[in-house]
Amino acid sequence: MNIRTTLGLALGLTAMSMAAPASAADLVLYDALDFAGPVAKAFQAKTGLTVDVVEPGSTGETLGKIAAEGKNPQFDIVWIDGSAVMERMAADHVLQPVPADEYDKVAFTDLGKSLVPQSHAFLPTGTSTTAIEVNTKKVEPGKLPKSWADLEAFAGSVAAKDPNLSGPAYQWLAGFFQTNGVDAGKALLAKTLTNKSLSGLSSGGKINKAVLTGDAAVGINQDSAIFAKIAAGEPVIAVYPSEGSVSLPQGLGISAKTQHMDAVRKFIEFVTSADGQAAMQNGDDTDYFFIPIIKGVNAKPGRETNITCTHLDDAVASAHESEWKQWYKDKFVQ
Amino acid sequence: MTAVPAATVSLTNAAAPAGGIGKLSRRRRPNFSRYVGPVAVCAVFTLLIGLPLALVLLQAVMPGLFTAATTGVFSLAPLARIFASPYIAGSILHSLELGVLAACTTTALGGAFAVLVQRCDIPLRRPISIVPWLVFLTPSYLKALAWVLLMSSGGYLAQLGLLPPALGAGFFGLAGLVFVHTLSLFPLAAFIIGSALAGLGSELEDAARLSGAGPLRIWLHINGPLLAPAVALSFIATFAEVLSDFGLASTIARMSSFGVLTYGIYAAASDYPVDFPAAGAQALVLLALVLLVVAADRLLRRRADPHLISGRAKPARLYDLGPWRWLALAAALAVAFLALILPLGAIAARALTSTLGHGLVPENFTLANLSAALTLNTAANDGLMRSLFYAGLTAVIASTLALLLSAQLGRSSPFMRTMVLGLSLGAVAIPGIVLGFGYILVWNRLPGFRDWPFPHYGDGSLLVMGYVAAALPYCLVVILSAIGQLAPSLTDAARLHGVGALRRLLSVTLPLIVLSVVTAFLLTFIRTVFELPMSQMLIPQSGPPAPTLILKLFSHDRDGLACAIALVAMTAAGGAAALIWYPLNRFVGPGRRRAYSGREAALGKLP
Repeated sequence: MNIRTTLGLALGLTAMSMAAPASAADLVLYDALDFAGPVAKAFQAKTGLTVDVVEPGSTGETLGKIAAEGKNPQFDIVWIDGSAVMERMAADHVLQPVPADEYDKVAFTDLGKSLVPQSHAFLPTGTSTTAIEVNTKKVEPGKLPKSWADLEAFAGSVAAKDPNLSGPAYQWLAGFFQTNGVDAGKALLAKTLTNKSLSGLSSGGKINKAVLTGDAAVGINQDSAIFAKIAAGEPVIAVYPSEGSVSLPQGLGISAKTQHMDAVRKFIEFVTSADGQAAMQNGDDTDYFFIPIIKGVNAKPGRETNITCTHLDDAVASAHESEWKQWYKDKFVQ
Repeated sequence: MTAVPAATVSLTNAAAPAGGIGKLSRRRRPNFSRYVGPVAVCAVFTLLIGLPLALVLLQAVMPGLFTAATTGVFSLAPLARIFASPYIAGSILHSLELGVLAACTTTALGGAFAVLVQRCDIPLRRPISIVPWLVFLTPSYLKALAWVLLMSSGGYLAQLGLLPPALGAGFFGLAGLVFVHTLSLFPLAAFIIGSALAGLGSELEDAARLSGAGPLRIWLHINGPLLAPAVALSFIATFAEVLSDFGLASTIARMSSFGVLTYGIYAAASDYPVDFPAAGAQALVLLALVLLVVAADRLLRRRADPHLISGRAKPARLYDLGPWRWLALAAALAVAFLALILPLGAIAARALTSTLGHGLVPENFTLANLSAALTLNTAANDGLMRSLFYAGLTAVIASTLALLLSAQLGRSSPFMRTMVLGLSLGAVAIPGIVLGFGYILVWNRLPGFRDWPFPHYGDGSLLVMGYVAAALPYCLVVILSAIGQLAPSLTDAARLHGVGALRRLLSVTLPLIVLSVVTAFLLTFIRTVFELPMSQMLIPQSGPPAPTLILKLFSHDRDGLACAIALVAMTAAGGAAALIWYPLNRFVGPGRRRAYSGREAALGKLP
């Protein structure tokens, strides 16, 4: 009896102690963007609707969580960088199409209109692109790279993200193949990314660190990450390759299983409003330095916006995702 | 005439279960209750660790388990795939090589440190004895980051001109990993070996000395063999810890082209679509490696652990090292400097500077990061408070459960004990990210569990449950090693006097091992404040705990603020631990001293 009492007490204690409050918010937002928390707070203040913000870390980790949840997803909205991965989730019926009338309510610029996917897999809220990050203390002005091809001169000292771990990195890889051609692109990367300890990094922050510590002379990084470092006073610059680079939209996707469509619509409308856009710029981290795509909204000071970007063919990128990611892993990740 | 046969029948029935129906039913009850303990132990382990782990491992042989495809129920394809991959095969060898080397160096350093602090008369003994606790307080991912800040080519040591280029280049490889793991994990070895050392007493040593044996001979022939189980346990625990480590795997190992298994699992589990089968197959290999070591240990050491603590123990004597004590002090201070002061210094420096690239120049210093971390009602502060609350709750549950389970195991069969120890150590080796992934599979995919209101996926309750699962093996190792030293005569005496199991546990066992229970509590508390992988996988929708915030800041290259949050969290966790430890030590200490016949020296092992 005593043993049973003891174990009963233990199990009872376990059960009682776990009485942490359950979440009963109006919306659950999964994201990997710096400004999502502040935007959710501003939305809450304006509408009174509560938002639970879940940020597992990088885009890859957020997607890993979504994949792990499978057919029982817990989110209503996902907000991340990258169009290809959104298309893939829409194709897998993890996301449902954004209602057409929501696009009509947004005063998109021409750039913004061009980013709206035909599939309605996501609603773009801003964009950025990929550039070459250069440490000006390590590379002389006369030796700055001007194109992706010039990076061959820095072979062994080029930091790059693993597309298997980073959504933006896959967007870059697929776009790089689009602009350079798949075979030529593969050959160029094979000659450039010769140092596996630098070519499989997991996030833009690690590219910054490699470039700032001097472990790498140059890095292939999301340009908003570079502008955030420039604003913080770090000795780096962003060089846009002459071949062009593809845009990297930030998008809102809607869970196929959401039970809170009204709140989802209100959130989308808030994000694309002047208040929402202001909250998206009220900070100093990477994602705050996006290129606005809504009329009347200006980029943060110091953020280059006059960039010639091409758009990614999401269908091609999505179709080759597994194959190209595996190729990258085999070649450049130890 | 009739009285004699009746007595005979009664005696016969007492000796054999076959008797009258009434007597048989009376005999069954104690038999049944004897199995309640092991069954409950199994139930707790199955729910907390076994089931989530099984679902992860099943992915390795049943890749279609949770996918729409119903074909190929059983398949060895995922295992064949990982063994065919040179990258994964290489990472298995790397993990093994690193685990063995680091377990050797960590056990050696931890054991030497425990002997130095507990048995030698060195100056500053008490402050130095706090060092392992403070090292333990610092999570591995922060220590790894600190060493990256220190040793990279543009890092702090290079900026100060203290880093020869050759040393910097050599650091990012096996040598550097073993070095940082050793400095990071030696407290675990010191706790395990120190705990056994405290129970040694001096009776046997005194007897040997009286018989003319010198200190070296005493240590080789008496103390050494008596401590061997603890040394083996320390080796296994640190080996398992190194194998399952993710902090160094994702930083120094990553930068050194030194792929290890945990990183492979992480990479497979952090993508869309997730490669569950590859993650499961690598987790299976990882678990097999650890269980092999546990099995080898059992085969090689086929003798029972010695019961050292009895009611007749005498205090251990401190060795007088003479002038050598200054050298011993220098060695202890060097360990403290490398394991604690230098990494914390790097973290503090980064927390107090605005950029990394501009280094340690006066104009780069700022208090902005610290003030941001300390401001109330911010995301950082909310995360900190949440983590402290979850950690306190986890520590209460895990140490209570471990105490109850240890008490049960103390009376169970050796097979059961071996099973549970193996399971615990296996669980230590399971990376938190895998266990967290298993929790998602169980509580978000399995019918029945999915709809269970409490704990529920997405709530804080499931995160606390995950924390408990991650902490329980550690608590068991600490408390089992203390209970294993108790002579059975102590509880046997109480039982013969008719004292029940619960009262025996609370009145006899608990007072004798209370400091170990508190040790388990505090270890759990501190570890949980910084527990990263489980926090990552089971983020409550109500808000993230501190480790998730810190990692997010790192991944977004805001390591200044992340370092500031880490500093505040370490101070808060350390302060809370001190608030618990000192009053308890003050009130419980005298009782323990009486029970141990005045073994003050052994008590001095903990701060």
